[in-house]
Amino acid sequence: MSYELSVNGRRESVDVPGMTPLLDVLRDELSLRGAKKGCAEGRCGACTVRLGDRTVASCLLPVAVATDEPISTVEGVAAPDGPLHPVQEALLECGGVQCGACTPGMVMTLCDLLEADPDPDAQSVRQALVGNICRCTGYHKIVEAALSAAAALREAR
Amino acid sequence: MTTAGGNGSGSGAIGRRVRRADGEPKVRGSAIYGMDHIEPGMLHAAVRRAEVPAARIVRLDTTAAARMPGVRAVATAADAPGLSGMLVLKDQSVFASEVIRYVGEPIAAVAADTPAQAAAAAAAIELELEPLDPVLDLDTALDSGTRLIHPDWESYQTLVPGPRGGNLAWEARLERGDVAAAFASAYQVVSDEFRVPRQHQSPIEPHAAVARYDHGRFTVHTPSQFPYLVRGRVAELLGVRPSAVRIVVPTIGGGFGGKLDALLEPLACVLARKAGRPVQVLNTRADELRTAGPRENAIVRLRTAVDADGRILAQDGHILADNGANSSGETVACAGVAPLALGGTYRIPAARYLSQVVYTNTPPTAAFRGVNGPYCIYAQEMHMDHIARELGIDRREIRLRNVLRPGQKMVNGQVLSDAFLVEALESVEARAPWAELTARSRPLRGVAVVPVTWITNPGPAEASLKLAEDGTVMVTCAAAEIGTGAVTTGVRQIVAETLSVPIEDVLISAPDTDAGGYDHGAQGSRTTYGMGKAAGDAAEQVRDQILQTAADLLEASPEDLELVGGQVQVVGAPDAAVTLAAVGAAAMWAGGPISASGRFVSPPVPFDAGCMAGALFTHFSAASYHAHLAEVEVDPDTGVVTILRYVVAQDVGRAINPTMIEGQVHGGVAQGLGYAMLENLRLDDAGRVLDAGLESYRLPTALDVPPVDLEILENPCSSGPFGAKGAAEPPIVPVAAVIACAVADAIGRPINELPVSPFAVLGALRQGADVVGAST
Ligand code: FES
Ligand code: FES
Repeated sequence: MSYELSVNGRRESVDVPGMTPLLDVLRDELSLRGAKKGCAEGRCGACTVRLGDRTVASCLLPVAVATDEPISTVEGVAAPDGPLHPVQEALLECGGVQCGACTPGMVMTLCDLLEADPDPDAQSVRQALVGNICRCTGYHKIVEAALSAAAALREAR
Repeated sequence: MTTAGGNGSGSGAIGRRVRRADGEPKVRGSAIYGMDHIEPGMLHAAVRRAEVPAARIVRLDTTAAARMPGVRAVATAADAPGLSGMLVLKDQSVFASEVIRYVGEPIAAVAADTPAQAAAAAAAIELELEPLDPVLDLDTALDSGTRLIHPDWESYQTLVPGPRGGNLAWEARLERGDVAAAFASAYQVVSDEFRVPRQHQSPIEPHAAVARYDHGRFTVHTPSQFPYLVRGRVAELLGVRPSAVRIVVPTIGGGFGGKLDALLEPLACVLARKAGRPVQVLNTRADELRTAGPRENAIVRLRTAVDADGRILAQDGHILADNGANSSGETVACAGVAPLALGGTYRIPAARYLSQVVYTNTPPTAAFRGVNGPYCIYAQEMHMDHIARELGIDRREIRLRNVLRPGQKMVNGQVLSDAFLVEALESVEARAPWAELTARSRPLRGVAVVPVTWITNPGPAEASLKLAEDGTVMVTCAAAEIGTGAVTTGVRQIVAETLSVPIEDVLISAPDTDAGGYDHGAQGSRTTYGMGKAAGDAAEQVRDQILQTAADLLEASPEDLELVGGQVQVVGAPDAAVTLAAVGAAAMWAGGPISASGRFVSPPVPFDAGCMAGALFTHFSAASYHAHLAEVEVDPDTGVVTILRYVVAQDVGRAINPTMIEGQVHGGVAQGLGYAMLENLRLDDAGRVLDAGLESYRLPTALDVPPVDLEILENPCSSGPFGAKGAAEPPIVPVAAVIACAVADAIGRPINELPVSPFAVLGALRQGADVVGAST
């Protein structure tokens, strides 16, 4: 089957079975390997992308149901040759990245959170991150980064 | 403490919170991890794995599978005849040949054009088995009459001689002092038994390997923590020489010990050689949990003789650790660590430890951050609380009475001249006063404090440095960056400081065993310490070459020159200066390009060598000292434990990058909390891993981790770069101990098994006080 997708603002057309997980389409068909296949069972959040105005575990989402809304992935958060997004910047500044395998998913979840809630407290950041496992950092510096990015984004507004 | 030495004011790089060099690609999603690496013409592999724990292979027929669509190669034991093992004991082959020894053991592998074709062909391999009696129980595996898992055990080669035999894969012993006399004269003797389950590393990136074969050499891209180990192990398993294997390491998505050893690389190599094409082997999460070796399950039995003041007179310890079906993981190699862990924190004048690693028909176990430390310390600390209870001594006080002080000896006779345990306990005390925490009677609240001494892995390292034509410095080495920042910040900071160049001007190559010299792997907190020192050594030589060349250019003597901010200037006359770029260019046609290699191995530490047998680790090199405190609250209705407070004092020698150290402490505490409260990789009575997904194998989330109140202590180490010692491993070591002891305090019952799940807490609450831990 052929599907038309909008990914990071580009029209893409792929020819795959409709049940193919969106993650496989992104990684294998579109060479967008930022989102990671950490578990393929909806548990780790490393494959998190945004579909319309929400985040989804792309490892569980069939491509056939991802055609109506724009998809954004970690590669689309900042222009490849442009400055980092405040969330990315804060993750590095605060030390919220170690191995980085969870980071693409973290970036997407945090961007989503901060659009919905520009001034979250630490507990709501933790709530938002509950679907994103990080085995390295113990989360504190990611939470710190989220609060710092939120402040930077508010300032920029 | 070492310093940058003369001729340089340093760049102020040490102690700075510099960003990691690999950070931007990681946050942009452009970093290529092992699981992202692909090659032109690459085939996909599927592994046919055993579904029973023990059987004889009567017939294995791959003919039909080999004819299936898309199939390019099918490999079996005949293609990889070698026996190997993690350093010590060579009892492992790539594929089961005549006998199956665990569920998940590879029997054959297929390379095909697509993953689906490979999987279909692997399933079509015909297999006829004759079941054998599985040996699954650690308790009974050594009983006489139990079937031997390796009847040919005697024929296996070992690195060093060691006690072993039958289902006893390996044994390490330590005996020092007059144990019998101490027990005979004791005021009291206290005994306990503790049990711990398997804990899985579960990095977010599963194991992955892509191999190709060209003109007799293998090139493998694999996210390995220890590329030189994988190189040697692949060679041994395939029966080729180590230099026939080149390991290239892409970005690594976490390891925690689980990616130290070869796992998928030999499979990828065998298939690549047969197929004549690059082959990828990629684990699913279920493969990971079922077959990538976890921290071993174990039983620890302690018996301690004490005087009336609670001072330890002697300890008798028996550690029974599950090796699984072969020694492909680090469990055998680390048998000797258990006695050191048990006898490294408190003064134990006489001791007898028996650390046994036992074969079972279960998936092989392996290294996980801290190896056997977390459970040995858990056992020791719960046992100390038991002793304190028997004698009516305060639990912090009994630790202070026994804790090793500077100049006192560890259980192996090693003098800890820089012991810092009292300081660590005081650091915690200043922030969380024990008297206050224990004064009020607070039902269902508990507190515990645990001191601990830990090792920095002493392994060797080599680094090369060259000054480029633009004045930047390139470090080439095979040290793997597993996320700690040790390579991408620590080593760079050490070089920047030594050469007084901006940190941005220090670049570091990706690990490749064809280019980088030997490195002993990202393990045991050794990278900043060992590789940092090797790179620092190379940087000192490069500095001398720079000064020599600059002296000619500036017509000055090298002693009158200093390196400042990327240039060389005459002391007191900063106008007379040359840039490093100019120095590099001038050197080219004068003495030749500026470059040097540096090397390091941890200096020998005196200890009582006669007291140990079968131990690969015999002492604590670059020992570090720590204390953790936890306050918890237990919900009596649900059994849920809430950590109210978590306090850490960690001796790092010298803090090269405080942000990275904090990250290691936060992450180590989180993993330790998982071990203490959540994680339990269960096997069923058919030897199958029950927890094959992250739904039931529960990892800590952002809502599970308590805030960590950390003080970094600097107690410099003479052998480390700028005084640094290992920092990444220690923070997991005392966590299960301190949490379990705090919960035991809260409920007024000892906890003799991990994890301290809500069910375990409820069970303990209901059963009453006299179930476990009775004194003898
Ligand atoms: S890969 Fe999708 S949640 Fe883990
Ligand atoms: S940084 Fe490694 S999993 Fe989060």
